[in-house]
Amino acid sequence: MLRSCAARLRTCGARPANPGAAWRLFSSEKVVHKDYALPNPSWSKDLRLRFDQFMKKCEDGSWKRIPSHRQNTSPLLQDFQNRFLDPKFMKEEKMSKAQKFTRSFEVGLGFEYVMFFNGAEKRVVCFFQGGPHLQGLPGFVHGGAIATIIDITTGACVNISEGIAMTANLNINYKRPIPLCSVVVLNSQLHKIEGRKHFVSCTVQSNDEKTLHAEAAALFIKLDPDKRLT
Amino acid sequence: MIKRGFQVAARFGHHKPLPRNPQILPRLHLVSAFGSSTDSLVARFCPEKTDFKDYALPNASWCPDMLSLYQEFLEKTKSDSWIKLPSFKSNREHIRGLKLPSGLVVASDKSDQRIFTRCIQDEGQGYEYVIFFHPSKKKSVCLFQPGPYLEGPPGFAHGGSLAAMMDETFSKTAYLAGEGLFTLSLNIRFKNLIPVGSLAVLNIQVEKIEDQKLYMSCITHSRDEQTVYAKSSGVFLQLQLEEESPQEQ
Repeated sequence: MLRSCAARLRTCGARPANPGAAWRLFSSEKVVHKDYALPNPSWSKDLRLRFDQFMKKCEDGSWKRIPSHRQNTSPLLQDFQNRFLDPKFMKEEKMSKAQKFTRSFEVGLGFEYVMFFNGAEKRVVCFFQGGPHLQGLPGFVHGGAIATIIDITTGACVNISEGIAMTANLNINYKRPIPLCSVVVLNSQLHKIEGRKHFVSCTVQSNDEKTLHAEAAALFIKLDPDKRLT
Repeated sequence: MIKRGFQVAARFGHHKPLPRNPQILPRLHLVSAFGSSTDSLVARFCPEKTDFKDYALPNASWCPDMLSLYQEFLEKTKSDSWIKLPSFKSNREHIRGLKLPSGLVVASDKSDQRIFTRCIQDEGQGYEYVIFFHPSKKKSVCLFQPGPYLEGPPGFAHGGSLAAMMDETFSKTAYLAGEGLFTLSLNIRFKNLIPVGSLAVLNIQVEKIEDQKLYMSCITHSRDEQTVYAKSSGVFLQLQLEEESPQEQ
C-alpha cells in the first residue's frame, strides 16, 4: 500500500508548471514517511527542553510521543476512508495532493508542535510554537490557528484512546494573546463519555505556566460504524 | 441621498464625515463608544490606491459557484452598499499607520509575518476567500473555498480551517463595525463536512455591542443553502489602535 502511494506521489512530482515547494517535496518518497513531531533547527530552546523532558517520561511507557506525518497513511485513517466515505469523493488526484493541514508549512514558519499521550489518564499534552505565518494581530498568533491546534490536541485525545471521532462542538475562551514564536503548553483531558459523545477539556498556558492563554471545551462524536458520513 | 452618500464613500474612500443613517436599529450603534465611526474605519481599511497585493480577487482555482456568487456580490457593491474588503498578506498592511496600544506591542521580526489565512500562497491550495461587508446592516458574507492543504478527513476540510475562517471573518467584521480587536470567545457547532474545493458561504451578523464587547453570530452553509456546515458565535473585545509616530513607520 505504501509502495503504491509512493508511486502515485512520484507521478505527481513529475507534473510541471507549479513552482511551489509542495511539488518538489511530493516528488520525494521520504516525505511520506517523514515524522514532523521531532526537533528541527527552528525549534526554540524552550521547545527542545520540553521535548527532552517528555521523552524521558516515555521511558517507562506511561507516556507515548505521537508521530505526525503529512500524508494520512495511518491504518486508522485508511479504515475511515473505506468505511465512512462515499467512493465518488475519493478522486485519486485529490488524494495525492492531500496534505495534513498543519504540516504544510516550511520549517519554522507555521505550526511546530509535538504531542505526547498518556493512555492511563486519557490525556494529551502538546507543546506548540506558532511561527510568523500564523499571524493574527501583528506579533501575535491568529485566533484561528489557536483554534486549530486546540482542535488537533483535543481530537488526538479521543482518536487515540477511543477511535475515530469528529468534532461536533468547539468552545474556546481566549484570555491572553499568544506572541508569535513563543512556546505554549496545551493540556487536554478526556473527562466524560456518554455513548458516542466524548467531552474533552483543554487549557493553553505559557511555557512557564504563569500565563493562561485560553481555555477550551470540545465535544467529539465517535463515528457510527454502520453509517456513512456522505 | 444618504444611501448614495454611503456608496460614494465606500467606492472612493472619502474622508469627509458622512451624515448618519437616521434609521438606527434599537440594538446597534453606528458609532461605537470608541468614537471611530464605521465609515471612517472602512475608508481607512479600503485604501483608494495601494501597492499591496489584494488576494481577495478571483483566480483560476475558484470554482464556478464561487465565481458566480462573487459576481452577484460585486453587483451589490454598486447597487446596495456592500463593500468588498481587500485582503493583504499581513495584518500590518491592513493597519498601516496604526499600531496596537503600547502595552501590547511585541518586539518581533516584522518582515516575515503573514496573516494565517493567507499563509499558503499557491493558488487554490489553501484558503481561497473574499469578504463582503455591509456597513449599515453590520453584516458580512465570506465566500470560502478550502483547498487540499486544508484537508482533515480525506476529501474534506479540517474543522480547524473552518474555525480559522470564522475567526478571520469575525475579526474583520468586528474591527469595521466597532474596533473589535481581540477574540474573547469562539463557539462553533459543526454540522456537516465541507468538501475540499467547494464553496462554503459564511453569513455573519453583529448582534450587539455592549460593555466594550462585540457579539456576532455566523451560519456557514452551501451555496444553495440546503446544507448547513456549521453555526457559530464570536465575541470580540473593543480596543482602539494608536497612531504610529513617524519614526515607527
